[in-house]
Amino acid sequence: MSGARTLQVLLALGGMIAWAVQFTIIYGVTSTLCGRGWADATIFGIGIVPLTILTTTLATLSAAAILLAVSLREDRRLRIRPASATDSFLSHAGVLINGFSLVAILWNGVPAFILPACA
Amino acid sequence: MNAPELPKSFERRETEFPNPLPRPEGELDALKKAWKAPKGLSFITAVNNTYVGLWYVGTAFLFFILAGILSLIMRVQLAVPENDLVSHNLYNQLFTMHGTVMMFLFAVPAVEAASVYLLPNMQAARDLPFPRLSAYAFWAYFVGGLVFFGTIFFGMSPDGGWFMYPPLTSTKYSPAENADWWLLGIGFIEISAIAGAIEIIVGVMKTRAVGMSLDKLPVYSWAMLVFAVMIVIGFPAIILGTLLLEMERAFDWPFFIAERGGDPLLWQHLFWFFGHPEVYIIFLPATGMVSMIVPAMAQTPLVGYRLVVLALIATGFLSFGLWVHHMFATGLPKMSLSFFSAASTAVAVPSGIQVFAWIATIASGRMKLTTPSLFVIGFLFIFTLGGLTGVMVAMAPFDWQAHDSYFVVAHLHYVLIGGMVFPLFAAIYYWVPVASKRALSERLGRWVFGLMFLGVNVTFLPMHITGLIGMPRRVYTYPVGMGWDALNLVSTIGAFMIAAGVALFLVDIARNFRFAGEDNAGNVWNASTLEWLPNGNYATRSIPSVVSRDPLWDQPNLSKDVEDGRYYLPGTATGGREALVTSPFDARPQYILQVPGPGWQPVLAAVFTAAFFLLLTVKFVFTAVICGILALGCVIWWLWETDPGPVRPPADIGGGIVVPVYVTGPMNHSWWAMIVLMVVSGMVFTCLIFSYLFLWLVNPGAWPPQDIRIPDWIWPAVSAFLYCGSAILIAVASRQLRGEDRRKPRPVPILIGVALLLVGGASAVDLWAQWQTDLSPSAHAYGAAVYAITSLQIFFVLTTLVMGIYTIARWLAGKLDTVRRTTFDNTMLFWYYTAGQGLVGLLVVHGFPRLTGGV
Repeated sequence: MSGARTLQVLLALGGMIAWAVQFTIIYGVTSTLCGRGWADATIFGIGIVPLTILTTTLATLSAAAILLAVSLREDRRLRIRPASATDSFLSHAGVLINGFSLVAILWNGVPAFILPACA
Repeated sequence: MNAPELPKSFERRETEFPNPLPRPEGELDALKKAWKAPKGLSFITAVNNTYVGLWYVGTAFLFFILAGILSLIMRVQLAVPENDLVSHNLYNQLFTMHGTVMMFLFAVPAVEAASVYLLPNMQAARDLPFPRLSAYAFWAYFVGGLVFFGTIFFGMSPDGGWFMYPPLTSTKYSPAENADWWLLGIGFIEISAIAGAIEIIVGVMKTRAVGMSLDKLPVYSWAMLVFAVMIVIGFPAIILGTLLLEMERAFDWPFFIAERGGDPLLWQHLFWFFGHPEVYIIFLPATGMVSMIVPAMAQTPLVGYRLVVLALIATGFLSFGLWVHHMFATGLPKMSLSFFSAASTAVAVPSGIQVFAWIATIASGRMKLTTPSLFVIGFLFIFTLGGLTGVMVAMAPFDWQAHDSYFVVAHLHYVLIGGMVFPLFAAIYYWVPVASKRALSERLGRWVFGLMFLGVNVTFLPMHITGLIGMPRRVYTYPVGMGWDALNLVSTIGAFMIAAGVALFLVDIARNFRFAGEDNAGNVWNASTLEWLPNGNYATRSIPSVVSRDPLWDQPNLSKDVEDGRYYLPGTATGGREALVTSPFDARPQYILQVPGPGWQPVLAAVFTAAFFLLLTVKFVFTAVICGILALGCVIWWLWETDPGPVRPPADIGGGIVVPVYVTGPMNHSWWAMIVLMVVSGMVFTCLIFSYLFLWLVNPGAWPPQDIRIPDWIWPAVSAFLYCGSAILIAVASRQLRGEDRRKPRPVPILIGVALLLVGGASAVDLWAQWQTDLSPSAHAYGAAVYAITSLQIFFVLTTLVMGIYTIARWLAGKLDTVRRTTFDNTMLFWYYTAGQGLVGLLVVHGFPRLTGGV
């Protein structure tokens, strides 16, 4: 598998990988902080659990948004220039997957605004 | 040796064919001879996917019937209140075996089995890349599965439920060997599933029709690719879980015993990290089948191909964020539950995309109401109902009400029967004409569908109400006057309707299924994909070049041209079995893979492997060890015949394309398999590290316990130095194995030998360092976790030792040199992995307690 192809695959799957990273961090951090009784700590007056969820969500959301933008640009570029069917397919898949990932990441972050950290 | 640069314009118009006619005399006979299956008793040594695939499907269906019979006994027991047909003890075994056999011995093997048969045909490959591995996986499953099922006749079956929660299944509450049968029997069958998954990943990525680039890959292949990746990621968790629970039961290492720092919830995490993806592992192949059947029945291409592929991939990811929704009632923080609740609702989106794609396809064509169509419609109806109750139980507050009640039983049966059994029946009715001289009966098929569809709804729809009015699952009887009597009786009647449908299906099979070598029933549905090309034991006569996702519709003479031998590789270049390996993205020809033929090795290896695990269950340790050694011997015997090297110069496969008959490095199929195996190993190790951290989390102030000292830092440093040294020596050996002169003397065996001493020494030093601190694996979960990491590493080091000695032996036998070095490459990859895992293990075991300071 060439380097260019590896990049294409990473670009296409990047959004879902960002979702997986967000999920792992927010669940892992919440469980650890609540399990150890460290969740009462605050930074700038914000609880450490919601702050972690918020920052992780924003970071992964940004990553997915950038990947979506790159996928869209690549998709437009390939529509203008002649490209192999595989390239077109991968860039289009990237648009769809990264777009869906944005929603999934946002959806996962919503509980931070609604629920108490460790109840 | 690397493949030469190939012309990029290998895709041809229909009128230009890679190979001219007439084909040379004897070409087809040579092909037939190479792929001929053995006869007589040796028939069981056949490895052709067409035979192994059918045996596999048949065995999976046998387990479906056996598990179904168990469910009928349960339904008779529950038909009336206070029934005494079976005792509570037997009932516990019945529901445990029903769930276990349906999930582990029917559902996963059935979809894997179908793919062993279908994938090569659908991708116009001559066979899967590792046919002996498929045969090994099948025989291990066949022998192990039958012995496991046989325990029900001796009262020895597991009885702790199909998810085997400790502490119920711990030695204290389940001292007999029933639980061990589950842990060792099922754990071992999971290894067989992983072997199949490796085969599928490499098969989908590397053995396709020429020009079948990713955008033209059949949806079924996409589904099986995602399925196999999910197995690779998900199954290691249950393998590790069973290993830990068995170690607890056998050696008293308290991973799940709360009094000594363990936690039963750890089991639930490990089980459901596998268990929930398992639902999609079963469901995705079924959707892949439906995505093939619907276009054929509607006679129009699938609507939204790219969206369906997106849905498959998204489901694969999201399904790993759902596992805690099986643990909503365990007292975890609501915030944590909400993440899983969110993912559980989000996963409905990709499932919905697929459902709408099928409906749109049906709407855009003219759907023929055949038996496969009926089963697809039944699937849509039943699965959608199951999906809706799934969204209900994804809401934690509702789940707390419905938890452990018959509502959940109804939900999971709607999902699994709707999502897997109905598509499988659709697939059998649809694809039987590929494997049989006759199609199945449409008339009988409609009766089968009608009985099963009504039966499923009559059985399980009332269970929603039974559950909501309070009937818990897994009770062997109930008193009069609870309001459950009539509902249970209706459910029992429904169960027998399903059984009648399945019995009628067996009649249909007996009447109409006749195995076809080369004279199958043909393309009776006017379907568009390559499995409907004329084929024999060697699959298609020549390997076609495809230009679309529906080649049989878009290339009308394809069948005849392929059969005439006009396309690629119409004969055998090496005189033996071959497959054409293509590039993973664009499906350009890369090289000819010399495929191994029939042999006793995989059969015997599977039998002895099964014997090893099953004899351990009944504590026949000495005999088990003998069988383990014999299994290893058979595997080495099997491998000794592989890695044949370049037996001839590069061959012309047609169209001016000349490809080598042997390559090494990242292009090689076994390189890919080793990478997948390393991912599996990495997942087992990751789950173990997760377990270590989880146990730390539940043991504040006791990690390590106060009376335990951590080994001095010098010992892990020495161990790390030795791991690095061994890996460097292997890298040097790899460099030595380069160059054109094959006869030049090189110190390769010496380098491997020294590296063996170093890697063995690294592991021994770490074990000794722990041992001399008097750390006991039984006293506390800390010791158990440390020794679990050390033990896993020792297992990998021992495997590396065997591989290293084997590699040296091949060198000494003249079967390894600068060109013929695939064996070395495989050993090298595994070696690097083992060294890397060892270093991470040292970091965790010695670094983490120092980092946290025992907090």
